Amino acid sequence: MKGAILVVDDEEVVLKSCERVLKPAGYEVSTSTSAQKALQILGENGGFDLVITDIKMPGMDGIEFMKKLREKNPDISVVLITGYPSQESIKEALALRVVDYLPKPFSPALLAETAEKAIEFRKKTRGPESEDFGPEKAEKLTEIINGLKGKPGSLLTVLQKAQELIGYLPPAVQRHIARGLNMPVSEIHGVVSFYPFFSMKPRGKHIIKICLGAACYVKQAEQILARLKGKLQIDLGEVTADRLFSLESVRCLGACGLAPVVVVDKNTHSSVNPDEALDILAQYQ
Amino acid sequence: MDKFRANLMVCGGTGCVSGGGLKVKQAVEAQLKEKGLDKEINVVLASCSGFCAMGPIMTVYPDGIFYQKLTPADAPLIVEQHLLKGKPVEKLMYREPLKKQAVPAMKDIPFFNLQVLRALRNKGLIDPESIEEYIARDGYQAAAKALTRMTPEEIVKEVKASGLRGRGGAGFPTGLKWESCANAPGPVKYIVSNDPAVFMDFDPHVILEGMIIGARAVGAGKGYIYMRNEYPLAMQRLQKAMEQAREYGLLGENILGSGFSLDIEIFQGAGAFIAGVGTALLRSIEGKRGMPVPKPPHSTEQGLWRKPTLLNNMETWANIPPLILNGADWFRSLGTEKSPGTKVFAITGAINNGLVEVPMGTPLRKLIFDIGGGIKKGRTFKAVQLGGATGGILPEQLLDIPATYEDFARAGAIMGGGGVAAMDNSNCMVSAAKFSVEFVVDESCGKCPPCRIGTKVLLDKLVDITEGRGVEGDIELMEDLAREIADTSLCGLGQTAPNPVLSTLKYFRQEYEEHIREGWCKAGVCRPLATFHIDAAACKGCGACARACPQKAITGEKKQPHVVNQELCIKCRSCWEACKFGAVQIGPAGLRQELIDRAKGAVAAKEAETAKGVETI
Repeated sequence: MKGAILVVDDEEVVLKSCERVLKPAGYEVSTSTSAQKALQILGENGGFDLVITDIKMPGMDGIEFMKKLREKNPDISVVLITGYPSQESIKEALALRVVDYLPKPFSPALLAETAEKAIEFRKKTRGPESEDFGPEKAEKLTEIINGLKGKPGSLLTVLQKAQELIGYLPPAVQRHIARGLNMPVSEIHGVVSFYPFFSMKPRGKHIIKICLGAACYVKQAEQILARLKGKLQIDLGEVTADRLFSLESVRCLGACGLAPVVVVDKNTHSSVNPDEALDILAQYQ
Repeated sequence: MDKFRANLMVCGGTGCVSGGGLKVKQAVEAQLKEKGLDKEINVVLASCSGFCAMGPIMTVYPDGIFYQKLTPADAPLIVEQHLLKGKPVEKLMYREPLKKQAVPAMKDIPFFNLQVLRALRNKGLIDPESIEEYIARDGYQAAAKALTRMTPEEIVKEVKASGLRGRGGAGFPTGLKWESCANAPGPVKYIVSNDPAVFMDFDPHVILEGMIIGARAVGAGKGYIYMRNEYPLAMQRLQKAMEQAREYGLLGENILGSGFSLDIEIFQGAGAFIAGVGTALLRSIEGKRGMPVPKPPHSTEQGLWRKPTLLNNMETWANIPPLILNGADWFRSLGTEKSPGTKVFAITGAINNGLVEVPMGTPLRKLIFDIGGGIKKGRTFKAVQLGGATGGILPEQLLDIPATYEDFARAGAIMGGGGVAAMDNSNCMVSAAKFSVEFVVDESCGKCPPCRIGTKVLLDKLVDITEGRGVEGDIELMEDLAREIADTSLCGLGQTAPNPVLSTLKYFRQEYEEHIREGWCKAGVCRPLATFHIDAAACKGCGACARACPQKAITGEKKQPHVVNQELCIKCRSCWEACKFGAVQIGPAGLRQELIDRAKGAVAAKEAETAKGVETI
């Protein structure tokens, strides 16, 4: 099976023809004649990779449907079909992040090609991050955002809590926060990329931070780093293959009296000598 | 309250805790219970004593017997011998570095008795999680005085008269800052405390008390304490202190019935060094990228959310309560005319590490050699970096300058957060400068070109020199560039960034020249610029170097001079560090080929001789 598709259109004939084209191409196809019913189907079965929907429908229209859909399932791929494409509807659709647009009438070949592209796009953007950031965590994150929304300057706190929850801040999480706080994604990304504390890559179960401030430098922090790199077989900023350890550097913890300092998770190890560095790792294995 | 015949103060500073201090405490408690002494002897987890190098530490009162480097296994001995039989355990005491004599009492140890405590006056004495103990040591007396017996103008006047200067950076007069903020119009004002920097094991209540006084002086109703997320222990204690202060009516509405209200919130940062710059820190609290903005307007007029904001460093706040309680004249009784009071220093590097407080004007030599215990045997003092990564690096001949803002600035260094990193002769000054610049390149926020681009170019030059690609003219170019960066950068980070380069170029210029002209890093730190070889005359043939060598490049018979195989040597310097006789020498890069040729020559000569021998037979 190449993927699960839900087609929504008020005209039975469109549904039938889509099914005729997509099923032989190897997709699992479900159909719905109204947006309300489609939401119900999606609620019961979360396994869809792609939704193809008409815009003009009686009752709830395609745009309204997408808004509702995005609330529950922010990352599903959506392709729009419409007989009357206008500048207006295209603009609105883009804001809701549709993958593609099918102007009626369309050929079977175009439908198959669009579906394939949309599903591939979904797979590409999914990667491991959708495992780390599933619907359950998304809901928790929404709770965090709602708790802090409206408080001036809450972005940093939201990001810290999000990172605590998910482990890192991949694009999907940043988008989720942007929507929740009603801020541009670019601004969120600007803050995330500015502070070294935030990571956009998956991190290990244990995070090793080695202080490279002036005092720690004088006390051979670089040698400790070299030993850790050698043992873990990774470079600074990387994660071990088993995702047990992340190795990060921090520019001065201000704990100069304790130099050299290595912090693992929330534990501070002070006056570490290079020979002891590997013993610290053993405590977390 | 129960009366105890002895109090055991186990140091609860981050250093001692990470060294196993809590386990020591548990072991001692278990022993006391076993011996039935738990009713007469009290064990307290006290605030950081500052002598981190010796941790875990425990002090036994009333005599003040100081035990260091403890492990849980030492507990039975202390309880049995000291607390039961009354004989302090000599082998766990501090020893004088030279005569190796045990020093039983804390008050006789130079590290402690050369200090004068004001900002850190409760260190090692009280439980940092107990507001009662803080109050018992005159805590919140100053706040009460400021709130009930002084007008805001009188508070500002007192701070101005004291001459207190900001403890975090360039030493701006605190009183002027307070006055400017107090005079700024508007009903909404903020007070902010900078992150603790070297001050991480601070007394949380003293910060709160200082901030209450400051808020009253300028008329602020809301305060923020900026804490980096890397200090979990300090954070936990601060949170607890705030809860207690609220419970006691020292924070919140109508403090001490004075009608004055103040709410303080902890703000967790996200690890950007640039946030140490005031305006950048305020942007960070606003939830933005922590980038500085040009002044004026000053934060005291338009700071957090464009409202008048009083931002002080944590150590500055800690100086406020004793100053208000005892007055400006008392405050001026220590220190110098222009830099009155005391200063906290984090002494570190090749000496005994710790957090110390001394009067301003104390000579650096005293900090490093008397309090810090000096450089270890076999090494010599080479330089000291003052004020952290953007501080100047000074040579031995400047060690007699007094520790004041003016004298540091004149020597090309900064007070900064109070970092004093001593380096011994195993350090290369070009590498030390390179490391500091690397730091700024990483931490520059990127807003202004001199700091963003200038420091990168500076770093490239330094990398070239340390890797043997330095050319004539590099030194002059770096000097020009460094001055330009200092003059044109937007904030304190960029303005101080070139300090390590300018100061090493001034005091250790010869070292740069040796790197460039002779291809020689005499400390053996820059690997491409060193050749390690053994002086046959000095070598005793002890084999320590051969055992230390990871490459097995050193060979030789026992008690015979050893030889380094240059083709195997990776220049890790292990042999130099292992040799007790100074026989391992560091030569210029060019020597390597010469030694290889000579070794080959010797082999060839030997072969030729053998061949000749064969012929004659």
